[in-house]
Parts: sequence; structure tokens; C-alpha cells
Amino acid sequence: MSEESPQKKVMKRLIKAIWVFNWFNSCGFCELVPLVGSRWDMERFGIIVVGNPRHADVLFIAGYQTLKSIKRAQRIYEQMSEPKVVIALGSCTMTGGMYWDSYNTIKRLEDYLPVTMYIPGCPPRPEAVFEAVGKIFKHVEEMK
Amino acid sequence: MVESVREKEIIENITKNFKVDVGIQRERRIWVKSPSEDLIDLCMFVKNKLGFKHLSALSVTDWPKKGEYELTYHIWSYDDKILITIKTMVDRENPEIETVSKIWGESSQIHEREMHELFGVKFKGNPDLSPLFLEDWDGPAPFRKDFDWREYVRNEYYSKDNDRESAYFGRD
Repeated sequence: MSEESPQKKVMKRLIKAIWVFNWFNSCGFCELVPLVGSRWDMERFGIIVVGNPRHADVLFIAGYQTLKSIKRAQRIYEQMSEPKVVIALGSCTMTGGMYWDSYNTIKRLEDYLPVTMYIPGCPPRPEAVFEAVGKIFKHVEEMK
Repeated sequence: MVESVREKEIIENITKNFKVDVGIQRERRIWVKSPSEDLIDLCMFVKNKLGFKHLSALSVTDWPKKGEYELTYHIWSYDDKILITIKTMVDRENPEIETVSKIWGESSQIHEREMHELFGVKFKGNPDLSPLFLEDWDGPAPFRKDFDWREYVRNEYYSKDNDRESAYFGRD
């Protein structure tokens, strides 16, 4: 059996369940809401929405981000404790989407936040969100 | 057209005291066109004497060919259930007008703040005209008709060399 690094040991203990903090503009929450309902029910997999960024492992960011709201998102990101992951949901968040020519939405999320994963789609399929969350576990598994 | 007595009374009252253009659009809807110097006096008059207590909306229309902004105040009377619309023109390049926030208070203050943000109209005497949504904005007032926001966005946000973003150039 291979030696596990202290970091991996810590991460494995931490990442048993994904606690998420939501930063959703406009239709953003509708994109995640199928996961909350009984059909996909994200709590089966330990994904819980918390009310405070200090408790969260993952920041879900969805909906178009305006120049004003992205500043608040950055402050929320800074409040989260390490290790932290940012997942961008939906096309508006990633590129501006249908608001590509709006003077007040941001067009490149990666300029403002260190995005770990993009989930494209309008809205993204719930399965895609699960896959993204699964990749976080996989990332921990593959750590040396 | 059905015109109730009250509407005629209001119109008579206004024309007696002010040199304005008035009309009844339809039942319970009156419009008044006023020069911008008389606006404050007229607003004071309709609020205090005629009972129009509620400023329900304040909007700006841009007329680029005339070189003017048209300010529209919609004011509601709870007693008579009549909506009066006061219209006034201001210069487009240097839009300045006296605030009505002293008359209608907080509700008009926030309306004026929004119109300042979107059209750049300066409401003299308004205590707070800081932007609502456009923090750090240094472009032109975005709701002006001659503001080509697609061109602005191309210059500000996108790069032709970027694979993903080059698609946004050269199509309208």
C-alpha cells in the first residue's frame, strides 16, 4: 500500500461530503433547484447547502454576474476556508451567455475568480452537476 | 369621451395659475406639458392644492434628433383616483433640473437616482445620486440612444485574438 501524504489524509477526512455555498444571480437558483428536489436529491450524496461561506467547501456560482455582484462574489470567495473549489454553472456565468453584448455583465469569469470547473448548459443537466462534484472526490482520490 | 367634473376642475385650476399645455387623454388620465422652470411650482401646486400625494413613476425619454430629454412624472391622487402626467423637456447635452425629492421625499429620491445613473440627468438638490448598479462605471450614460453598447462591449471586454470571443466581432 502506498504512503498517503499528510495533505491527502486531511483532504480525505474533509471531503466526505460537499458543503456548498450558493451565489446565484437572476435565474441562477432555478438551475440548481432540480437537485434539491426528490428526483435527484443532492443530499443523498452529501451535498448540503450551507448558509455561511465560512462553512463551505464549494462555491456554486450561477446566473449572469454583473460588475457589482462579482465584487460580492469575490468577498464570499475570500471568506471561504481552504481547501476551496469554485464551480461555475451555466452559460451566462461562463461567457455572459445571452447577455454577451450587455455593458454591465462580466464576460470572462476566470478574470475575477479562480474557477475550478465550468458546467455549461442553459440550464446544466443535474447529472452534469453530479459529475462535477464527483470529480472533486476523484481529485482527492488521485492526490499523492 | 367621458370627462368627469373633477378632471375639468383640476385642469381649470392648473391653467389659472400656470402657462402650460394641458389635456385629458382619457377618463382619469390628465397630461400637462410644462417648461422646466415652472416644474417645481407646478409640482408643489398639484401636491398641496390638488391632492396628488403619490409620485408613482419618473421616467426619461431620449429624443436625440431634438437634442432633448423628456422627463415624465406620473403622479397619483388617492382621493380622486386620477393620474396626472407632467412632462417637461431638458437639454440633452447638459441635463439639469431641480429635484422633486423635497416634495415627494424618499420615493422620488430613488427614482431620480436611477435616472441619473441611466441618463446622466443631474437633479439639483438631490442628496444622494450615487450609482445603484453601475459601480465604477466610466462610460457614457448607458440608456442614451446614441450609446452603441455592442460596440462598447467589444472594445471593453473582448479580444479578437481569443478563439471563443472572435465570433462576437463582425456581426450585428
